[in-house]
Amino acid sequence: MLKINNLSFSVENQEGSEKRTILDKFNYTFEQGKFYCITGPNGSGKTTLAKTIMGINTLTSGQLVFDGVDITNLSITDRANAGIAYSFQNPARFKGLSFRQLLSIAAQTDDESTLMQIVARVGICSLDFLDKQVDSKLSGGEIKKIELATTIARNPKLAIYDEPDTGIDLWTIGPMIDLLKKEQIAHHTTTIVVSHNKNFLDNADVILILKNGQFVYEGNIDGAMPMLTDLSTCESSDFCEGENDVRCFR
Amino acid sequence: MLDALDKELLKAVAGLEKIPKGAYNIRKNGKLLGRQVSANIHIETNADNTGIVITIAPNTQNESVHIPVILSEAGLHDVVYNSFIVGENSDVTIIAGCGIHCGGDQKEGHEGIHKFTIHPNAKMTYIEKHYASGSGKGKRTLNPTTQVFLKENAHAELILEQIGGVDIAKRVNEASLDDGASLLIKENVLTEGNQIAESHNEIRLHGRDCSANLVARSVLKGNSKQDFIASMEAYNKCFGHIECDAIIMDNATSDTIPSLKARHSEAELTHEASIGKIADDQLMKLMSLGLTYDEAVNRIIQGFLKTT
Repeated sequence: MLKINNLSFSVENQEGSEKRTILDKFNYTFEQGKFYCITGPNGSGKTTLAKTIMGINTLTSGQLVFDGVDITNLSITDRANAGIAYSFQNPARFKGLSFRQLLSIAAQTDDESTLMQIVARVGICSLDFLDKQVDSKLSGGEIKKIELATTIARNPKLAIYDEPDTGIDLWTIGPMIDLLKKEQIAHHTTTIVVSHNKNFLDNADVILILKNGQFVYEGNIDGAMPMLTDLSTCESSDFCEGENDVRCFR
Repeated sequence: MLDALDKELLKAVAGLEKIPKGAYNIRKNGKLLGRQVSANIHIETNADNTGIVITIAPNTQNESVHIPVILSEAGLHDVVYNSFIVGENSDVTIIAGCGIHCGGDQKEGHEGIHKFTIHPNAKMTYIEKHYASGSGKGKRTLNPTTQVFLKENAHAELILEQIGGVDIAKRVNEASLDDGASLLIKENVLTEGNQIAESHNEIRLHGRDCSANLVARSVLKGNSKQDFIASMEAYNKCFGHIECDAIIMDNATSDTIPSLKARHSEAELTHEASIGKIADDQLMKLMSLGLTYDEAVNRIIQGFLKTT
């Protein structure tokens, strides 16, 4: 349902002298209705990949095909209207926008009963959340719940959640996973979760480990565990490349 | 009594579709258009015949008075001195505002000097909207002055809006607070084109345990210019806060100068000020919810300038 062809993404170094390549000729196909969990070390390119799919990052080269349509040159708005939704790792805060208004934009209706139904469907936000201002007074956990609700309210074909559990209390992580699974099954939503949390990994259909801008593992939790629990420090980075690449994951 | 243009202006500045119920005083082109008093709200022309005196009886509860001004006469510059006396223990809403329609090349303007005395334990909400319309090239000027004297434990909330079309505005807000009094000022100003707006605020916290909060939001588009100058001066154990945020776009310019003056060791004064363009993460979020770039900008500005 989402085909990524030869996607590269580079950024200018701070010095401006040369470019740093974060994703290099990246290829992958996400299949309809599956639950993917992308994990990997800090700085491996997880958020960059997620934002490039949403159109927040403009790719340097390559192609994105969504449901058979080339979306490479589509804006964020057009991708959203094509059925892609994105839950930000660090959600924006607004002065003068309530959760009700944000939800209303997401759901394209200001019908109160519809908004209440969405809040009930999401479950992890109580109804009194609707009147909360989405501003700096919200706690980290509260704004993540709101972020998740606005993503679900889009009824997306492809939902991307960038570290949805950041700031979320231990009691909510379980219900949050149940919610994303329920959405996946009920609406056949292709779900991509970027996370380091093993609870998400346990519930994924496919685990993808990203390292240096490439997926170095694709499979289930059993196969991923040896790599995820390997805490040894790499002392071979000087010569670990090409034929000598030992394909460790740190 | 009201023509179509009057109705448009009245709707914009006072939310009125017709003559309101209860007390009101409507001024059109420098003259009285209509007045109604109520059992608790008295309105009379002042001794100099330069404005009105509104007297609200003590213990008046949940009543409102509308005092809009509309201007559509070319070349007119209307100046009024209005006094408001809000009696003890009352709770009232005063809806003011000025609408100008300029159809020609001659300038039009209004200066409203409003002086409020809020007696002990009274609560007043004052809503003032300024709006100008019309295709004329004449400059539309609105220079309001608001002076508020809050007695013991009195509370005032001032909602001051300039919602568009005003070419030149110089606003002065002054307040003085006695023991236990509290004041909230919310000021929102939108300028575009070559419009100029200045806001000068001076709040004096005299009373023990009094508090004031001044929240100003500005949006500047085109080549417009806004200056916001606010001073909060504390003479007692009290609390004061100034919050002034501006969204700046295009070639607009802004000076923002908050000033805190503590004259007492237990005074607690804070301020936060920011000027900046619309944050990218806000735009990205709304666009990811399906809004276009322009729709996202409008939605952010609309929320930012929302006062109630």
